Amino acid sequence: MNRVFAILVLGLLFAATSLWAQSDVPILSGAVAFLGANTGGVPTYQPVIAPVLVAPFGDHWLVESRGEIQGFIARQDGTTGPYSGQFFASLAYLQLDYIANSHLTVTVGRFLTPFNIYNERLSPVWIANLQDSPIIFTIGTRTSASSNGGMVRGVAIARENWILNYTAYASVLTNTENLQSGRSAGGRIGVFLPKVGFEVGASYQRFLQNGDYNATGMYAVWQPPQIPLDVRGEYAYSPGGQGYWLEGAYRFSTSRDMTNWLSRVQAVARVQQYFKGNPTPQDLLPSANTNQFDIGLNYYLPHNVRLNGSYGRQYSTAGNANIWNFQITYRFLFPAWPGGR
Amino acid sequence: MKPMRKLLFALAGALLAACSVKVLATPQAPQPATTQKPATNVPKKASVDLGAQKFQENCGRCHNPPDALSPREVKAVVQHMRVRAMLTAEDEKLILKFLAP
Repeated sequence: MNRVFAILVLGLLFAATSLWAQSDVPILSGAVAFLGANTGGVPTYQPVIAPVLVAPFGDHWLVESRGEIQGFIARQDGTTGPYSGQFFASLAYLQLDYIANSHLTVTVGRFLTPFNIYNERLSPVWIANLQDSPIIFTIGTRTSASSNGGMVRGVAIARENWILNYTAYASVLTNTENLQSGRSAGGRIGVFLPKVGFEVGASYQRFLQNGDYNATGMYAVWQPPQIPLDVRGEYAYSPGGQGYWLEGAYRFSTSRDMTNWLSRVQAVARVQQYFKGNPTPQDLLPSANTNQFDIGLNYYLPHNVRLNGSYGRQYSTAGNANIWNFQITYRFLFPAWPGGR
Repeated sequence: MKPMRKLLFALAGALLAACSVKVLATPQAPQPATTQKPATNVPKKASVDLGAQKFQENCGRCHNPPDALSPREVKAVVQHMRVRAMLTAEDEKLILKFLAP
């Protein structure tokens, strides 16, 4: 039996080598980052490594995975005492995709919960314009922002001027360390107008544990084609609370000429409002109404290195706070199979 | 045990055969533009331009493009984005042509 298994593994390795030697080369991507923050006078530091593995098998099958190892270094008593650190490892997703056609991709495994857009599209450390997740981020993404189960997604209708996309999923309850997920089901639908760079959509989630409840959300993205401006926003509601965020990011030059320093600079601003409902500790939502604004600058250095810094002011009935953030990020991408780039 | 062994051999054989067929069917990398006749470059350039437009419309919605992509990396990157950004098959092909003409 062991011999058969060895032959099978060798056969698969041979096939994989033949296949990946041609065009289906797996890639290792992701980022290494160092984050520094001072929130209300409490300094913290977070080194992060987030590798992404993508392995295509022909035109229809794809294995994707992203892990994250993150440290959290803080003073013993918040503002005083020696620094001490803890490290956490988590698996954001490990999924097998079957791309049937433009209309249908079937995914099984662990995947990012597709509620609104921040979690799926904007949360990676090398993409997010501001370090801190929006206050309403945990609405619709409990318990870990990842789901274990199945998902279908695709383009329902594609026309020259508009595209209707959809996602639907179901997840099971998992309590295994680093692989937690909630029992839930939901979906998202969006309309994208490519000619004007505008997308709007809505999300729904039925959380099927701890007293079933619904979470709903809406999002919008606008990128005027002639201006290097990104405008994004989300609204989300759950019994625990509701709120919205609106973010604008402006790159000072349309040119991608990296010899021009101005083309490397991006200014970012975000406003948020959160209105408390009846949050439970598991909701990870503030226990008081909160308003916040953030302004920041991103500076794109050559070789996929990015510096960013931001200042935010949080107004809350539980206490106001200044929030300073700094981050350096190196984004990497290379083939994960011998043969050079 | 014997039927199980046969089944495993058959499975391994089928996998090998399927992969070999895929390898044979993999289209050859396009020739450099300089070796092609000018007339055939016109539609190719048009599809590359359209690919650039699709790249900007779809990928730029979430992130800035990386500084450089090698031809070996492009297939996996674009397939990854097809699932993430819900690209159509046609848009995926155009973006592939743009990134690896």
